[in-house]
Amino acid sequence: MTLVALQDVAKSVLLADDSRLEILRGIDLEVSAGDHVSIVGRSGSGKSTLLNILGMLDAPTSGTVSFEGREVRRMRSGRLDRLRGDNVGFVFQQFNLLPGRTAIDNVMMPLGHAKGRMFWNRRQIAADMLERVGLGHRVDQVADRLSGGEQQRVAIARALVRGPVLILADEPTGALDIDTGASVMSLLDEVATETDAALVTITHDLHVAARARRHYRLDAGTLVPADLSRAFEASTLAAPVPAPPIGPSA
Amino acid sequence: MTGFLGALADAWAEIRVHKLRVLLSLIGIAVSVGALTAVVAISEYQRQYQAEQSDRWGGRAATIVVGVSSEEGEPVDIGDFDERFERVSERFAFSHTARIVQGMTVGVRLPEGITDVNARLMDPVYSQIHREQLLEGRWLRDSDIEALAPAVVISEPLWDRLGRVPLTQHPIVTLTGAGGGTYQVVGVVPRQGFGDEELRIDLLYDGYRDRVDALPEGAWSQYEIWVGPEQADEIGPVLAMDLRAGLPEGQTVSVSRSDWAAQPGTMEVQATFEMVTGGIAALILALGALSLINIQLVAMRQRVREIGVRRAFGASSGRVFFSVFLESLVATTVAGAIGIAIVVAVLRSDWLLTSMFVGMQDVPPFPMRAALIGLVASVIVGAVSGFIPALVALRVKVIDAIRF
Repeated sequence: MTLVALQDVAKSVLLADDSRLEILRGIDLEVSAGDHVSIVGRSGSGKSTLLNILGMLDAPTSGTVSFEGREVRRMRSGRLDRLRGDNVGFVFQQFNLLPGRTAIDNVMMPLGHAKGRMFWNRRQIAADMLERVGLGHRVDQVADRLSGGEQQRVAIARALVRGPVLILADEPTGALDIDTGASVMSLLDEVATETDAALVTITHDLHVAARARRHYRLDAGTLVPADLSRAFEASTLAAPVPAPPIGPSA
Repeated sequence: MTGFLGALADAWAEIRVHKLRVLLSLIGIAVSVGALTAVVAISEYQRQYQAEQSDRWGGRAATIVVGVSSEEGEPVDIGDFDERFERVSERFAFSHTARIVQGMTVGVRLPEGITDVNARLMDPVYSQIHREQLLEGRWLRDSDIEALAPAVVISEPLWDRLGRVPLTQHPIVTLTGAGGGTYQVVGVVPRQGFGDEELRIDLLYDGYRDRVDALPEGAWSQYEIWVGPEQADEIGPVLAMDLRAGLPEGQTVSVSRSDWAAQPGTMEVQATFEMVTGGIAALILALGALSLINIQLVAMRQRVREIGVRRAFGASSGRVFFSVFLESLVATTVAGAIGIAIVVAVLRSDWLLTSMFVGMQDVPPFPMRAALIGLVASVIVGAVSGFIPALVALRVKVIDAIRF
């Protein structure tokens, strides 16, 4: 089942000199449940803009975005917020944890916008999720004082705590060293696979991108399938490409 | 329901995390709400104090004063008019009436010789009508008429001249002339302010009249009746009519009110006092609110990313607005309540009140009106200083906030 579908999506912004900068052009992309997609591209190529449109944080200038078959543009703001909160989990490069709050406060935050059992049992659910990402012993630690890897684990726990069907990760290992980054990505892959959630990862790192089943490259605002083998060969940091898991391909 | 509770939990968590900022910004609110509450409360105490001060001169509300005089300045037969007044009083069933004679002097034997001292004759009820306060001892009583040495109450300067003998040693004073003899000092009236050196002696009306048939020349008598303020206007004209009926030719009776409540403008002066002091307190409160808005706006700039993250995880714009709004509302209400509690605790101190309002007899309980005004003010300040930052939070664009 298609979760998010982008059809002929374009995004442009008006600059100070009244000229128009085109960020995305003619993007067509479908992400289904259980999918694992990576998007690579240079800085300023529009990767984050694309991720924001996928996560319904931003609206395209033209084209349509549908979530579970319903066109997003026609939804009212409040409904869109609820839809996003119920279905989408974000992992940011700079973690974006709430400053001064404990790990559990951060993970509880999305549950504060839920209803029913999730709202009333939010502390227990958050504690279980922290346990799941290996931070059961750091529950009451103020998030700012955790290491980078631990902070990203908290961010992952926060993204997954409401059981989203779509996980959007924007440079999730960008602020981490290679080993910690690999560990964080393993966790993200594992949890996404367990919950059958779709995972869309935006990255500069070819090794991170190689973990996905489908690979795209965003170049000058256009999304095209990427051949990571060639990218690795062209890279001065060439390294063996991990074998992609068996699954649907683009 | 969960939305409201969630917003409240968010607001409380924000206050908890930023304790120091919240504490510093709210000290001003607590102080200004406390100041407003204190001004309103002190204004109430001041009203009571002024009323009591006025009562000492003109009698409590409502005091009706009856005077009798002759048109050609001939002496009035006081005994005759006493009987007339007593008859009429019985018909009206007055509970508090007092006869007073003023404008007379008596010779008092002092260490430096016989000295003329102002004297007043009065019924014991006079002290109730005028809230007379004593420095020492007690006031005159009806039963004092049976005492062999008649009782007198003297002023503090006279007591000083007599050597300030403690009343437990039963000091006496010797009067000369008509009504002369030995009198026992039973009470001392304190000085009525700085520079009061009046030598005065108060005697029991009936006790003096038993000894002296005619009042000395220049003395004038009047009658005071203490009635409920709501009855005074009704009683006055009827009483005057009754007292004038069958009055000997050439005599006139005046009936008027002497208490402060009958003076035009008294309430307006009080209201003006409260308005001016309340205005100053409101200004302080407004300054506190402005500084709170300022701090909240600065804090909001630092929280742009946090708001963006919350929005990304499903917080609606309404929820963000409500959370920020509640933060101020909850915090200022708590700060206001603390300010009010401190003022209540301080103003419940008898020592403070009796130091501020020397001689106040009936200390009123802490006025609830003051506490309510303070609480309402803190809620309004919270709402205003929460609304503006909440509007700013509402305008935060999620994309920009996350990149911030």
